Amino acid sequence: MSAISYSDVNADILRTLERPKPAYFLLLIGFVTAFAIGVISWAIQIDVGLGLSGISHPIGWGFYITNFVFWIGIGHAGTLISAVFFLTRAPWRAPVYRAAEAMTVFAVMTAGLFPLIHIGRVWYGYWLIPYPNQRMLWTNFKSPLMWDVFAVTTYLTISVTFFMLGLIPDLASMRDSARGIRKFLYSSLALGWNYSYQQWLHYARGYLILAAFAAPLVFSVHSIVSWDFAMAMIPGWHTTIFAPYFVAGAIFSGLAMVITIMVPLRVVFDLKKYVTDHVLQSLARVILFTSFIVGYSYCTEFFIAYYSGVNFERAIFYFRPFGEPGSGLPFYPEGQMGFAQIAFFIMFFCNVISPLPLWRWKVRNNAIALFIISILINIGMWFERFNIVVSSLSHDFNPTLWGTYIPTPVECGITLGSFGFFFTMFLLFTRAMPTLAIAEVKEMLTPPYRQANHDHVPWREYATERSEDKD
Amino acid sequence: MADGIRRRDLFKVIAAGGATTAAIAACADKPEKLIPYLLPPENIEFVPGMPLDYATTCMECPANCGMVVKTREARAIKAEGNPDHPINQGALCMRGQASVQTHYNPARLQTSMQRDGETWKQIPWDAAETAFANAIKAVGNKSQIVYMTGNASGTRGGFLDKWLSAMGASPKLVLDPLGQHNIKAANQLTFRRAEIPQYRIDQATLLVNFGAEFLETWLNPVENNRLYTTMHAYDDATKRKGRFVQVGPHVALTGANADHWIKAKPGSEPLIVLALAREVLSRTHGRAVGADRDRLTSYLEPYTLERAATESGAEAEALRKLDDDFAKAEPGLALAGGNLVATTEGTQFQIAVNLLNYVAGNVGRTVLFGASRQIDLSSSHAEVEAVVKRMQAGEVKLLIVDGANPLYHLPASSQIAGALDKVPTIVSLSSAWDETTSKAHLVLPGATFLERWGDAFPQRGVYSLVQPVMATYYPDVKAAEDTLLSVSAKLGDATFKATPTYRDYLRQAWQQVQKEVGASGDFEAFWRTSLQKGGVFRTVSFSSSVRLNPDALSGKPGVAKIAGEGLVLLPTVSLRHRDGRGASNPWLQEICDPVSQVVWGSWADINPVTAKKMGIAHGDMLRVKSPMGEVELPAYLHYGVHEDAIAIPMGEGHTHSGRNADGYGINVLDLLPNAADPQSGEFAYLTTRVQVERTGKPGYLVQLDHSPRQLGRGIIQTQTVEQARAGENTEEHDPEEMKHGHPYFDFYPLREDQTPGYHHTYRWGMTIDTERCTGCSACVAACYAENNLAIVGKTRVGLGREMPWLTIERFIEGEGDSFKALMQPMLCQQCGNAGCEPVCPVYATYHNQEGLNAQIYNRCVGTRYCSNNCPYKVRRFNWFNYEWEAPLNMQLNPDVTVRSKGVMEKCTFCVQRIARARRTANGEGRDLRDGEVTPACVQTCPTKALTFGNLADPNSAVSKKAMRGRNEQDKRVRQYEVFPSLKQHPAITYLRKVTFEPINQEA
Repeated sequence: MSAISYSDVNADILRTLERPKPAYFLLLIGFVTAFAIGVISWAIQIDVGLGLSGISHPIGWGFYITNFVFWIGIGHAGTLISAVFFLTRAPWRAPVYRAAEAMTVFAVMTAGLFPLIHIGRVWYGYWLIPYPNQRMLWTNFKSPLMWDVFAVTTYLTISVTFFMLGLIPDLASMRDSARGIRKFLYSSLALGWNYSYQQWLHYARGYLILAAFAAPLVFSVHSIVSWDFAMAMIPGWHTTIFAPYFVAGAIFSGLAMVITIMVPLRVVFDLKKYVTDHVLQSLARVILFTSFIVGYSYCTEFFIAYYSGVNFERAIFYFRPFGEPGSGLPFYPEGQMGFAQIAFFIMFFCNVISPLPLWRWKVRNNAIALFIISILINIGMWFERFNIVVSSLSHDFNPTLWGTYIPTPVECGITLGSFGFFFTMFLLFTRAMPTLAIAEVKEMLTPPYRQANHDHVPWREYATERSEDKD
Repeated sequence: MADGIRRRDLFKVIAAGGATTAAIAACADKPEKLIPYLLPPENIEFVPGMPLDYATTCMECPANCGMVVKTREARAIKAEGNPDHPINQGALCMRGQASVQTHYNPARLQTSMQRDGETWKQIPWDAAETAFANAIKAVGNKSQIVYMTGNASGTRGGFLDKWLSAMGASPKLVLDPLGQHNIKAANQLTFRRAEIPQYRIDQATLLVNFGAEFLETWLNPVENNRLYTTMHAYDDATKRKGRFVQVGPHVALTGANADHWIKAKPGSEPLIVLALAREVLSRTHGRAVGADRDRLTSYLEPYTLERAATESGAEAEALRKLDDDFAKAEPGLALAGGNLVATTEGTQFQIAVNLLNYVAGNVGRTVLFGASRQIDLSSSHAEVEAVVKRMQAGEVKLLIVDGANPLYHLPASSQIAGALDKVPTIVSLSSAWDETTSKAHLVLPGATFLERWGDAFPQRGVYSLVQPVMATYYPDVKAAEDTLLSVSAKLGDATFKATPTYRDYLRQAWQQVQKEVGASGDFEAFWRTSLQKGGVFRTVSFSSSVRLNPDALSGKPGVAKIAGEGLVLLPTVSLRHRDGRGASNPWLQEICDPVSQVVWGSWADINPVTAKKMGIAHGDMLRVKSPMGEVELPAYLHYGVHEDAIAIPMGEGHTHSGRNADGYGINVLDLLPNAADPQSGEFAYLTTRVQVERTGKPGYLVQLDHSPRQLGRGIIQTQTVEQARAGENTEEHDPEEMKHGHPYFDFYPLREDQTPGYHHTYRWGMTIDTERCTGCSACVAACYAENNLAIVGKTRVGLGREMPWLTIERFIEGEGDSFKALMQPMLCQQCGNAGCEPVCPVYATYHNQEGLNAQIYNRCVGTRYCSNNCPYKVRRFNWFNYEWEAPLNMQLNPDVTVRSKGVMEKCTFCVQRIARARRTANGEGRDLRDGEVTPACVQTCPTKALTFGNLADPNSAVSKKAMRGRNEQDKRVRQYEVFPSLKQHPAITYLRKVTFEPINQEA
C-alpha cells in the first residue's frame, strides 16, 4: 500500500474524469428518465391539483414530506463526515468525504424541492420567504415551517460553501490539465489557486473554521425538521425525543447512503486501494451505533406512550404495530393490517434487525454484504419517516375522521423523480469533479523520499487492516 | 312569449314587494327573461349587493313548510324557513335546504321538445302548445286522457280538477308512493274521521313509535323534530325529560334517537299494539273509554302480552315495562307509520294503534282531530293501479305527466313500463328529466316552485303562498298551470276566460281565502300582505271529540303475512331522498345518511348475526332476489335490524334523472310485488321476502366515518337523567389537574385570549345541545348552501376528500340489540388557543379580535399544517378546482369566496353574515344585539339544538347556556368541551346527552 505515490493518486483520481464507458451513459439515461418522469408528474400535479397525490383528509402530509425528511436525512452524512469527523480527526474520512459532501449537497437540493412540491399553491411558494415587500405581508415565525425554511437554506448554503472550499486545490490541479470550456470553468471555481504556502495556510484555517461552523448544523437541521412534527400536537409527533431521534436517524440513513454510493463507485472507478475495506467498515461501525440509537428511540416512544397514560398516545402506538383498535363491532375488524403496519414492520426490520450482522467483522469487511444492508437501511429509513408522518396523522384525536393512505402514480412518479434527480446530479458530479479529495488523500500518503525515515505514518494506520478490525 | 327583453318589467318585479326593506318582498308580475343588469333599476329600494328575500312555500315534499328564499341580483341563492310560518317556525329540513338545487338542477328541461324517433327535436314553445292542444283534440273519447301529477297542494288540486273536467278527461292522479291512506282509512273506520290527525308529540311524556320515521320524512318532519325535542329533550330548568320507545324490526335515524328499542319480528307489531291496549285497558279500568269498555275488553281478550312476546320475539319483560309506562304516561302517544304499516294489513295496524291511543285516553290530548291536514293528497295505489291497467289495455290515449314519475315510483311488477309503451302520446310538463319524461313524446318544461305561483293549505288556519322568487331560469320554461291555461285557450275552452294566467286564478281563489279568514278590507292589500308574509296564518283551536266506531272492532289483526322465502325485505324511506325525488340534488347525495354515514348510493342493512351465518362481511356485494326482480348492492352490517330482515333505503337507482342521480344505488321498488292494502288502497311495500346471497364481488360502499367507536375519548358525552337532575357534572378530569383545585387549571399563565379585553366587544361562540340534536342533518345542507361548499363525488369522498365544514358525527356505543348510535354536529371549534393558528407560516389563518379563527383564502399557500394540527379535523383542503355544473353555479353565494385548488377552507361561523349584520348595526351606531346574527346551521335547526352568540356578553343566550365564566364553571351540569385536555379553549360548548340508562363509553 505504501507503494502509492502522489502521481498514482493524480492518475487514479483524474482518470475518473476521462471519457466514461457506455455503461455510464446507460445509467445516466436511466436516471434522467426517472427525473423526467418526476418533472412531468409534478407538472401534471400543479395543473390538476394536489388531489392527484394520495394525501387526503386527515392525512395532510404524505409521500412528499416523507421524501423531504428522507432526503434531508441523507444530506446529513456528508457534513458529518467532512466536518465532524474532520474535527475529531478520524483519518478514514479522507477518501469518502468528497463523495459524501457532494451527496449532501444534492440530497439537500432534492429535499428542498419537496416543500414546494407538497404545498397547494406552489406558485406562491415565495410567500414563505420573509423579505420586505409591497404586499405588506410578513411570515409567521412561530411556525415550525418557517424554522424549516431557515434551517434548510442555511444548511444548503454552508454545505455548498464547504464543498466548494474543499474542492479548490483539486479544481486547481484539474485546471492545470484541462482545456477549453472546462479550463474556464475550473479556473473560475479554483479562484486563482496557485499552491502557494500562504494559500495552503489560509485554506487550512478556513477549512477548520468552516468545519467548526458546519458541525453544529449537522445536529440543528434535523432537530428543526423534527420540530415540524414535535411542535404539533398530533399523538405520535408531540414528543421531546424527536430531535435526537431524528438526528441519529439522519446520520444512520446518510452513512448508509454513503456506502450505497461508495461500494459501486470504488468498483467502477477502480479505487479500491483508496476506499479500502477499512474505510467501509469504519462507516459500518457508526451505522451500527446509530442503529442502536434509533432502535432505542423506537422503544422509548412505546414506553413513554404507555407510561404517559395518555389515551391518544397509547392508541397510536397500539395502532402502528397491531392495527385498528378493538371495537367489538363486526363491521370494524380489529387488528386489520394496513399501510401503517406494513410501514412499521419494514421500518423495524430494516433499521433495527438488518444492521445486527454488522457485529461480525466478516460482514463489515464484506462490501457486498454492506451494500445490501445499506440498501435495506435506506428503505427502512424511508419507511420510518412514512411511519411517523402518515400513520400518526391517520389515527389522531377524532376516531370518526381517521383515514387510510393510498399512494398514487403521481406521487410515486415524483418520488422516483427525486431519486432520478439525485443520481443524475451525482453522476454528472463524478464526471465533472474528482470524487476523491486529491489533496487530502495525498496528505495521508507517506511523503516521497522520506519513506525510509517514517516507520509510523498516518497512511499505514489508515490503509492497513488492523487487529481491532477483527472481532 | 314576448320577442323583446322587457328589462323594465323585470326590474319592477325584482323591486316589487315594495314597502319591505330587507325583509320579505313579494313578486308582482311574471318576468319573462333572466338578464344581467345593464342599468340599475330606478327603484331606490333595490340596492345591488343587498339580498332580497321572498316568502314562499316549500314544495319538495307534501309537508309544505313556509320558506323564505334569499335572492341576490335576481337569482335565488338560499332557502330558509319562514319564521312566521306556524308549522316549521323558521326551520327547514335538509331537503328543503336543497330545494335551490332542484331549481338549478343540471338535468332540468330547458326547451320545449318533440320526440323524433329515438332523438329529440327542439320546437318553438308555441308549436309545442299547439301540438299539445292537437293531442287533446285527437283523443276521441276524452276520458282516455290521464293526468298524473306529483303535487296537488292548495288551489292547484281544484284547478287541475276543473281543467280536466273542462277537457272531459279522467280525474287527476296524484302520485306519491309514501301516502298516508292507512291513517285516513283507519281513522275513518275507528272514529269516522277520514283525516290525518294532529299528533301533539310535545304534549306526551311517553312516545311509543311503531316504524313511523317521524324525524326523517313522515308527515312534517320539521314540525315533528321540534315537537319531539320539546317532549323528549332534557329541560335544564324543569328537569323533565320524556321517554321515547321504538318498537319494530329496524332502527334508522328516528329509531336511533329512541331511549329504548324493542326489537320485534317484522309484521308482528300489531300484536304488541293490541297487547299494550289490552293491558292498559285493564290497568286503567277503562277510565278513558267509558261505555266502550266491555266491547273493547272482549275484543282485546285474545291479545295477551305473552302471545305478543312469543310471536314478535320481543322480550316480555320489556313489553311489560313499556305497558306499565304507557298506562302511567300523562299522556302518552303511540305512532305508527313508515314501512311497518305498509303491509297489506296496514289499516288494521293503524286501527290497532288508534285503539291503543283511545284506551290510554290519548285521543283528544295527543291525538287531535279537526286539523284538516293536507299533508297527503296522493291518490291511493289502487286508483293508480286501475289506471295502469287501463293503459295496458290501450284505453289511455294521452298521458300528461307533471312532476309525477310513475316509471320510477311504481314497482316494476306493476308492468308500468309496458303500460307506458302502449300510450300513444305522453306529454311531460315536468321541470327536469326523469324516467317517465324520457319516454314522453312531447315535452313542455314546467317551472320549479321557485318560479311559479301556487299555494298550500297544510292544515286548518294555515294558508301558505307560493310565489316566483325569480324569473324562469330558462326562457322556454313555463309553469305547468300556465301551459294548461294556454292550451285550454287554444282549444277554445271558455272555462278559464276570466283567468288567463294561473296567477289570476290564484288571486281569484284567494278572494275566497280572504273571506274564510275573515280579513276585511281591500283584496289588493290582503294579497300583498299575504305575499310578504308567505301566507295567512291563523291560530285555530280544534276540539275533537270523537267516538269509537264499533265497526272498527271487526278486524282480527295477526302477524302480517309476508310471502316468499329468505329475509323480510324492509324498504326504508330515505332521509335524504325521501321516495327518490331528491336524488338528483348533489348535496343530498353527498351529505351522509347520519346513521349509516353512507353517501352516494344504496346499501342493505343486515344484522351481524345473520351476516355471520351467511358469511357476509361489511361492504360485500350482495345479490338480493325476489320473485319480482333482483338487485345488487353492498351489505351494511347494522345491529339495528332484525335478524330475519334486510333493510334497503328507497330513493336511489335512477336511470334518467341526470348524472347526479343516475347509476347510484338501486331502486328497491324493483323487488316489490304490486300489492296494496285492500282497506285503504295504500301501496304495500312490506310484503315480500328476498333471497340474499354474496356475489363474491366487493361492494363499493363509501362511508364518511372511519372508527364507529369513540374509544372513551369523550367526544359525544352522556350522563344519566339522575345525574343531570342531581346537578352532577360527569366530566372526567385529569387527577393532576384536579390537584390544583380547578378542572381548567392551566400550567401556563393566563393566555391572551382569556385576558379580559383581548376580544373586542364580541367573542363569538356556540353551544350545541346534543340532547336536542336528532341528527337530521339540516344544518349540514344549510352549510353547503350558504358557504359554496364543493361537491366532490363518490370516488373522492371514498378517498377522504369530502368538503363539509359541518358534519354529523356518529358513534356507536354498546353492542347487539342494546347498541346506541350517538350523533352530534362537529364543526370548527373556533378555539381561543387554536392549534391551527401558530403553525401557518404565512398567517393565512389567524385569530381575529372577535374570537374567530379566520381563514384568508387568498393568503393560503396550502401547507396543510393547520389541518394536521387540528384535533377536531374540521378543516378541508381544496384538492382540485371543483366544478359547479351549470346551472348549479348560479346558486353560489356571492358573499362567500369560491375557493380554488390548493387552499385550505373551514367554518367561520358564517363570517359573511356577521359582517353584514355588523354593517347594519354600525350604520345605526350600536353594537350587535343578541340573536341578530345566526349562522346558516343555527338558523335552520328544527330543534334549536344550536345556539350562537357573543360569549363576551354574560347576558347573551349562548353565555347562559355555555356557563364558561370562571365562577359559573363549578355550576356546570351538562356543559363540556371536546378534548379539554388539549387546552385549545374551543368556543363551542357541547351539552351532554341525557339518557335513562347509563351508556358505557369505555369501549
